[in-house]
Amino acid sequence: MNDLPVGSTARIVNYTQQDSFTERLREFGLIPGTVIRMLRKAPFNGPVEIQYRNSRIVLRPGEVAHLQLERIA
Amino acid sequence: MLILYMPSPAQSTPDPSPNLTVALVGAPNCGKSTIFNALTGLRQKVGNFPGVTVEPKSGDAHIDKTITRLIDLPGLYSFTPKTPDEALSVAVLSGDHERLPRPDAVVFVMEGTNLEKSLFLYAQFAALNLPTVVVVTMIDSIKASGGVFDDIAMEQALNVPVIGIVGHRGIGLEELREHLALRGFTRPEASQNHVPHDAAIENQHEWARNLASDVARVPETDSLTLNLDALFLHPVLGPLIFLAVMLLFFQSVFTWATPVMDSIDAGFAWLQSIVDTALPAGIVQDFLSRGVIAGVGAVIVFLPQILILTLFITLLEDFGYLARGAFLVDRMMGVFGLQGRSFIPLLSSFACAIPGMMSARIISSEKDRLTTILIAPLMTCSARLPVYVLLITAFVPATLLGGVLSLQGLVLMGLYALGAISGLVVGKVFKSTIFQGSKLPFLMELPPYRFPTWRSVFLTLFHRTKQFLTSAGTTILVLSVIIWALGAFPRTTAQAGASATEAAAVQLEHSVLGTLGKAIEPMFAPIGFDWKITIGVLGSFAAREVFVSVMGQVYSVDVSESDETLRTVLKSAISLPTALSILVFYVYALQCMSTLAVMKRETGSWKYPALAFAYTLVLAYSSSLLVFHLARVW
Repeated sequence: MNDLPVGSTARIVNYTQQDSFTERLREFGLIPGTVIRMLRKAPFNGPVEIQYRNSRIVLRPGEVAHLQLERIA
Repeated sequence: MLILYMPSPAQSTPDPSPNLTVALVGAPNCGKSTIFNALTGLRQKVGNFPGVTVEPKSGDAHIDKTITRLIDLPGLYSFTPKTPDEALSVAVLSGDHERLPRPDAVVFVMEGTNLEKSLFLYAQFAALNLPTVVVVTMIDSIKASGGVFDDIAMEQALNVPVIGIVGHRGIGLEELREHLALRGFTRPEASQNHVPHDAAIENQHEWARNLASDVARVPETDSLTLNLDALFLHPVLGPLIFLAVMLLFFQSVFTWATPVMDSIDAGFAWLQSIVDTALPAGIVQDFLSRGVIAGVGAVIVFLPQILILTLFITLLEDFGYLARGAFLVDRMMGVFGLQGRSFIPLLSSFACAIPGMMSARIISSEKDRLTTILIAPLMTCSARLPVYVLLITAFVPATLLGGVLSLQGLVLMGLYALGAISGLVVGKVFKSTIFQGSKLPFLMELPPYRFPTWRSVFLTLFHRTKQFLTSAGTTILVLSVIIWALGAFPRTTAQAGASATEAAAVQLEHSVLGTLGKAIEPMFAPIGFDWKITIGVLGSFAAREVFVSVMGQVYSVDVSESDETLRTVLKSAISLPTALSILVFYVYALQCMSTLAVMKRETGSWKYPALAFAYTLVLAYSSSLLVFHLARVW
């Protein structure tokens, strides 16, 4: 997630671990196959905002290590 | 509960007991509260806070001759709860809650601009098979941005009544009221199309996405939100705007509230003078004037700040800016183990810890909320200012460093910084010990910007005021009467010819408070406090600024904060190390009964105020000890 530049899109491939956080991400609709777009990053490695379909959420990239992404563009 | 409903005598009186309990259910930010406010108005029951201890908001809707008890359950993202708020909603809806009964029916609120999210939640909700009516909010935003919404198609798919609503314009509300009055609810099990309540998350989302695209065409993000975010979250402009908003916030609390607070003070002083002249000097006069009126006044005086803070926070929250602010400061707060949302409560605490702790309700993580509440009293509140000003002007020379910087101002700033930095460090300690780890890492939605509805804002202010005045008011009044009694008994008669101030000094010295002060003086001796200062510290538990008037009484000088006499007296009576020790003590010590009372209310347990009191006392005492001895050596 950290490596995605602002404006780029990626597809969620898989979750490498199952816990209540990854379950919450899936409940938010971030299910494998979902295409996400990196909207913006806060400075100093702060939180990032991503968009997918009709939703926009903010999370700390360091906390979503279990998310496998595949860069599209 | 305030009842504005007065049935005319000709009509038959409606059954006063609500005959149906209906829960409002929906995802966070779906517009549930607007509907709740519209239906119940002033008929809300106060006493609802987020978190474990809590009851959800409830209120009565009077429609025709029926009364419906509405419960506004906390928003939830799924029926596998991850936060205490969600657990509460799930427990109530499944009938597992200890005290709250299972609702008879549900108004399921869906966000029109994000139907997939709402339908996903609905898929899980359908398993409960409660009689339901579905409400879709913000259908005007769908249409305004060129989208369409087909409520009939959705009604056919779900086979429960579906009502489109525009909350702030009142469109659709009449239809909803009719459904409530006529009990027009349907159980989801009758649904013709299968609602996948037992399927995997992925399949539920697929169902929700397909149904959403069948019944509504919604543009991806509205352009207003996109444009505003380009500005508010801009890497350079964003933080600058945030800083400006915070400055305005800070400024409003201090500047705008001050005249009102001053007139409240003056009003209570006037009341006191009336009592003082109307009643003969003695215990009754003293009780009414210095016990009751001063006690009530000490509470009411916070109201302007609380109202301004609440207004500001409600507007920013409803508009959607608070979430943006949290995004901007999250990195900084992360250093101290906290999250972006802790910023507002901590900032508010510079005015007063009470509204600060109350605004901590915007933090969804319970551990972060408790940590924030526990460190809020370390932010320098305005009640400490009179104490700081008195001691700084007495002991710090009014010199200008380099001809520009006032030494007194620097010391004052240093005290503010000391409190704030210590608070954040203590927060870090709490987060890495008793509140270690979070069930859920930081995850936040950025809701679309919306214009706040005045009705909702007004109702929030109204209920917050009522809550503050009743709940905190009674506790604080009782406690301040106790402090008064400790200072007023046993009665001592001063020598004939003594002035009123001298008489007050004699009374205080021989009262329980004075005796107590002398008894525990040895405890405070190591940090340089004599029994007179100890009484001042004890008296401060009613309110910190009381220190100034107690000092005036024990040193027998008639004082106001700006009075030259007390400073001169203090300068000769107190050594510099003692003065520094007092200052540091006031930076840390939680000497404020109102704060403890509100902390108990907000956390639901005396455990947290006890912890806060203990840790701040340890911090205060050890820092004063250090400063006192360093200053003596130096």
